[in-house]
Amino acid sequence: MGGCLEEIIFLSALDTPVLIIGGGVAGLAAALELDRRGLPSLLVEKGPRLGGQARGFCCKALEACARCGACRVGDLLQQAAQRPALGALTQALAVNAQRQGAGWEVTLIPQESRQPDTPALALERPLRERLLARTGAVILAVGHQVFEARKKSRLGYGRVPGVMTAGELEEALAKGGLPGQARRLAFIQCVGSRDQALGRLYCSRVCCGFALRLARLARHLEPASQVTFFHMDVQDYGQAWRADLSEMRADLRFIRAIPGEVRPGVGGPLAVFAGPDGQPQEEEFDLVVLATGLEPPVAAPALCEMFGLAPGPHGFLAGGGGVLVAGTAGGPRSITESIEHAAQAAAQAAEYLLAAPASPAGEVAHA
Amino acid sequence: MRLNDCDPGFKQEIARQPGGEGIKTCFACAACTARCPVGSLKPEYDPRRLIRLALLGRRQEVLSSPLIWLCCSCQNCSEVCPQDVRCAEVLTAIKNLAAKAGHAPPSGSAMARQLASHGRLLEVGEFENDKRAELGLPPVSEEPGDYQALLGLQPEAPRPAGEEA
Repeated sequence: MGGCLEEIIFLSALDTPVLIIGGGVAGLAAALELDRRGLPSLLVEKGPRLGGQARGFCCKALEACARCGACRVGDLLQQAAQRPALGALTQALAVNAQRQGAGWEVTLIPQESRQPDTPALALERPLRERLLARTGAVILAVGHQVFEARKKSRLGYGRVPGVMTAGELEEALAKGGLPGQARRLAFIQCVGSRDQALGRLYCSRVCCGFALRLARLARHLEPASQVTFFHMDVQDYGQAWRADLSEMRADLRFIRAIPGEVRPGVGGPLAVFAGPDGQPQEEEFDLVVLATGLEPPVAAPALCEMFGLAPGPHGFLAGGGGVLVAGTAGGPRSITESIEHAAQAAAQAAEYLLAAPASPAGEVAHA
Repeated sequence: MRLNDCDPGFKQEIARQPGGEGIKTCFACAACTARCPVGSLKPEYDPRRLIRLALLGRRQEVLSSPLIWLCCSCQNCSEVCPQDVRCAEVLTAIKNLAAKAGHAPPSGSAMARQLASHGRLLEVGEFENDKRAELGLPPVSEEPGDYQALLGLQPEAPRPAGEEA
């Protein structure tokens, strides 16, 4: 596919066995799995670069690997670059889909975008003209969006200096350290998750691991810092994690309560929370970090309408009729889980093609 | 805590009471406790703990606890609760169950008796009715019998002669 991408820029239509919408971790993993199965696919990404949101994550290792999965993005990009059959259209947005037999005809239009500093990979080609992709199956790997912390105004984001999201702390740590003279850190979990009042009655599954790894990294970079971890309960990520967790319990202060309020204090944000004795108490921190949850992708309602899909659980996507869902588009997942989920979606797409010989990709799948 | 001492039906019973419906969604995040003004005055009072005990089915412990009567229904807890538990209303539901089980504090029963016999907890007299007339409102009856009829209560037995003096 990669070779012919040069030409399709001047074409108005092309056939592909599988169209993958979304070039993040899940989309890349699905394309690679299909490639392993000898099935070509077309990967389309609305942004200028592949890699998705996970591309910005930093390694959380101390002396040993923290199994955060951030490096898997680079691995996937490298593997994709080594597969000559793989091709990806960037700055391409799916705007319409028509049922054609067992498959689909998807209209892609070019997207204007500011060019990033990172160089384009050989397999990335920006879409220049409107393109009709005739495909046997579609994999939706459009990812998620992160909960907007301002919506939980009680916790002070955007209002109280020193309150930031875990994503923003990650950026700061990736640049080399804790912001300012921050020594007293507080993490508040479940911001925008397990919150019926906000219509988000689900656990985002990744924030506990993300926040605790960040907390440990912060302690490592600044040994004088103290970390308080406000939580309801901690997600279990398996046996290796449990060993890490007992270490963290010794190193960080775990408080099983979510603060009711964060307001400006004298030297930093002041959290009001239920102390271990069940009494309301107040404590000042230098930095309050909100572990914001995962939300359904912005494009979910539009994609449901385009492909005639019923909305999935909690507003995430659920597939059907030759449309598969991969990664966080279908629900909260870690990087590693998204890769596994995408491989599964790719396998199901291949099965669907074999069962539907009338599709434009049928011949390829049967060949 | 022994499982045998817990009543799994207790939370269902609370959830069936008006106002108690939200109890089962609680994740015990303690945002209610963080913002509770009673808790900052009375260290033993912890709404999360009360809700948790109720969810665990500690019927006797909850209904006989003097702490449940301390909730002042300020609704701070309902305001912060991410799960729409409506903690203050759940506590009202628990109080109703406690009263039915005979655990109402003496002051509560005294107020109920006063309401039944006088139709109100505070004196309403000419002054209030003059004010109501100024606002174009009908006068409030001063006859306890009217309220007894309204509340479907039996009139109190006539007091023995001589006591009225």
